Parts: sequence; C-alpha cells; structure tokens
Amino acid sequence: MKWSSFRYLVGQGLHSLRMNRLMTFASVGVLSVCLILTGVAYLFSTNVDSLVEYIGQQNEMVVYLDPDLSEEEISQVDSSVRSISGVTSITYVSKADVLETYKGYMEEYADLWDAFEDDNPFKANYRVVVEDLEQMEALSAQFAAIAGVVKVSAPLELSDIFVSVQRVVTYAGYAFVAVLAVVSVVVIGTTIRLTLFARRKEINIMKYVGATNGFIRLPFFVEGVASGLISAAIASAVVLGSYYALEYYSGQIFTGMWATVVGASLVPLADVWYWLVAGFCAFAFVLGGLGTAVSIRKHLNV
Amino acid sequence: MIIFEDVCKTYQPLGNVALDHVNLHIHPGEFVFVLGHSGAGKSTFLKLILREEKATSGRVIVNGQDLSKLKERKIPYLRRQMGVVFQDFRLIPTMTAYENVAFAMRVTNIPEKHIRKRVPFALDLVGLKDKMDRLPDELSGGEQQRVALARAVVHTPKLIIADEPTGNIDPQLSLEMMELLGAINAMGITVVVVTHEHELVSRFNKRVITIDKGQVVADTDQPGLGAAFRDAENAKLDLGEVRI
Repeated sequence: MKWSSFRYLVGQGLHSLRMNRLMTFASVGVLSVCLILTGVAYLFSTNVDSLVEYIGQQNEMVVYLDPDLSEEEISQVDSSVRSISGVTSITYVSKADVLETYKGYMEEYADLWDAFEDDNPFKANYRVVVEDLEQMEALSAQFAAIAGVVKVSAPLELSDIFVSVQRVVTYAGYAFVAVLAVVSVVVIGTTIRLTLFARRKEINIMKYVGATNGFIRLPFFVEGVASGLISAAIASAVVLGSYYALEYYSGQIFTGMWATVVGASLVPLADVWYWLVAGFCAFAFVLGGLGTAVSIRKHLNV
Repeated sequence: MIIFEDVCKTYQPLGNVALDHVNLHIHPGEFVFVLGHSGAGKSTFLKLILREEKATSGRVIVNGQDLSKLKERKIPYLRRQMGVVFQDFRLIPTMTAYENVAFAMRVTNIPEKHIRKRVPFALDLVGLKDKMDRLPDELSGGEQQRVALARAVVHTPKLIIADEPTGNIDPQLSLEMMELLGAINAMGITVVVVTHEHELVSRFNKRVITIDKGQVVADTDQPGLGAAFRDAENAKLDLGEVRI
C-alpha cells in the first residue's frame, strides 16, 4: 500500500469517528465504563491484598535465647540469627530491655522490679517479622535449630489463617477482574457489531468498487483504536483521579485504627498508575482495534 | 468481454435453480440489455459476472478471466475492471459527490494528482460538476444516479454494468440516463443494462437478451432463439389488452 493511500485511510478512519458521532459516543461510553469498572476492581483487589499482607506482617515471631549465654555466645547467636534470609526485620531485645518494658507496664510497682536488676529472670530475645507468612513454620524451625536458642514462639495458626485469607482475596480479585473483562469483551463486541451492521452498506459499496479487504479494514481499525484510546484516556482520568483523591483525603476519611491500617497499607498511586494506564491502553487497543478488524470479516464476504 | 458457457446456478440448501444452462457471448464495445421479470435470474446473472457468486457448473469468462478459477483475493482486481451502477445508487452517505467518485480511484492506488483531474471530468460528463461538494442526501434521485454513473466510469473501465439504473428515477430522467450510457458506450466501453422495463428497452435499437426462469429465451443477435417464448409473451399482452 502506498504511503498516500495509508494516510488517506487513516484520515478516513478519523473522519468517520467524527461523522458517526452517535455510534462513537456509544462505543466510547461503553468501553470507558467497562475499563473504569475493571480498573476499580483491580485497585480494590490490590489494596485488599496489601491490607491483608500488612495485617499479617504484624504477627511477630519471638526467638528466645538461653539466659545463661555469655556475651560472646550471644554475639555468635546474633550472627547466626541474622544470616537467615526471608526476614523483613529483626529486633534484638536484651534481658534489661524486657525488664524495662515490664517496669513500664507496672509503673506503680516499679520498685519491686528493681529487685531483679542483679538477677534478671527474663530471656533476651529477637522479634522477627517474616517476609512471607507461608514461610513462618520453616523459618521458626531454622531459628529453633540455632545453638543457644531455647524456644521459638510463632503464631503459626494465625499465620495460616492470614495466608488462606490472602490467597482467597487474591484469587477472588483475579476472578472479579477476569469476569469484568469477559463482560467488557461481550458488551464491546456487541457494540462493534452494531456499528458495523449500521455501516454494512458502506462496506458493501467499497467491495463493489474493487476495494481489497485490507483497504476496507484499515479505516475501521483506526476508528476502533482511536475510540479505544479515547476510552482509555477517560478511564485513566476517572480512576486515577479518584484514587488520587482517596489517597490525598484518606487521613480525613479514615479515623482511629482504620487510619493507621489504611495509611500503612494503601498502595501508593505512584506504584500502580503506570500498570493501570498500560493495561487500559492495551485492553482498549485489543478490543477496539482487533475487535473491529475481526468483527468486520463477516461483512467482507460480498 | 463476457462469455457464459453452459452456466447453471443452483442455490442450496433449497436447490432453487436460478440459471439453467445459459450460453451467451457479449462482445467488447457492445451495448446490451438483459431483460427479464422479477425472479427470472437477472440478479444471479449479475452476481456471477461480479463474482459475488460462483457458477454451480459451466464457465463464466469476463475480460478473458475464467471466474471459476479466480482466487478470492483477486476479486477486487476483477471488479476494478468494471463499473457498476445500482438501482439504489449505493453512494456512501458520509462522502460528498466528489469523494464518492474519487473513492473508486483511491481503491486502485491512483495518485492524488490524477484523481484531482479525473473526478471533475467524470462529474462534468454527467452534468454535475457544480454539485461535487454536495452530500448524497442533498441531491435528487436522478442526480445521485448520475454520481453513481460518474463513479462507474471515472477509472475508465472496460465494462459498465447497470442494474435497473432507471428503477428509482422518473421516465424523463430514465431516458437521459440511457442516453448517458449510450454516450459512454460510444467511447468504446461495453455496457450491460439489466432491466425489467420492456418499454424503455423498445425505445433503443440495441441488442436485447431476455431471461426467463433461468434460461435465455430470446436474443436479438440470434433471431431464431426463443420464438415460442415471444409468442407466449405476445399472447399475454394481447390478453391484457382484451381485459382492459
């Protein structure tokens, strides 16, 4: 195809977009709504996932050390404990720190605790936050195997529950997005078929004057891609704009414990916007462009 | 230009026979009327020439190409060798008269500078040069048909096929349309006009091929053919006059 013909056909596609305003409005409207719903579902699922992960990470594992260890032995244990991977954070709490903590709990009887200054009965420990809750049991065994560790206290049952909840939330999120995507494909496919049906005579005329299938398809493809990209722009503006507002005003919307939880687990806009925009554009391109190119086939058999 | 060799066309699944062992030969530069009642097989005759349908048996040859052997992707190139005028004009409603005519050239990748010369010429030929910027809806039926004719001739095809070109216009404009087709034929282009209007055909001294029930029942090029059919038709007309 010559460059001048290509330019002409692209121009024709954009011209048709303007000339068939009503159909353009309908397909852009339907596609935008579908993209917005899919985008909201994706953000909701991502945030619930992040929320569950955040709550799960609050479950610490406590690794108790033998109280009779010398400073040197503690130092050896420390290097062994810190060499284990799959850990988000490790905080060392010495015997003295534990005693201070208890003193803080019972300030009125703090003097009584002074008796333990020279004979501290508490065990020094490590507070460990694991990266992946599913690995808690395996890590707990690894910590327990270190010489000098007397006990590992890990909320294994609770972590199992969180792992299950997170799995369900993730799969439900994927399923929700997938169902919405399928619904979008069906709705948009119908809209495209309606558009093409309304213009079947035009296609028929093109065939009779000797237009090749590629020549007929290209303007429709351009039209489909252009309305897809317009829809992607609208959906991006609506979804990202609303999410920005939610992020900006989350301090006012959520109060008390929710403010802490949401504040810590809300996925930042900066981490998701490019996924959303890229997803919208790809989805719109595939549906708008290829959907049109494929749907037109039926009308080309003249 | 067009050769039908023992052509049969049966539509499945009902097995309706549209053309039954049709033989005819239309020579380059001829002006031919194909006459027949509704359902006689005229549309199938056209569809076979345009390769919209394939013959069930026999051979259809257009401009030296055997259409039964023509590949699907080659069909557009076959159609570019002809110009088609339809009863319902079939203009693209969103394009101006100029754009509608230019479109037939654009599909063949003709350079824009040639299009700019040829389209006004074709519109001038049909007397519509001053209305080239109008949309089809802004033109009368006769004018739309003339735009369709300009579109059919703009790329100087070897063959013009007109399917009931006077079906949607008044008698005076019908005569003008036929005269325009005659002028185009005088330029050496083969013209085939498919119609059911006996009266219009009788006004012109041209070859007439009559189709009835899928068979060629008369051809003025072959006076012996279809004598029985003509007698029957005349008898019907006589009967009609008696009844009136």
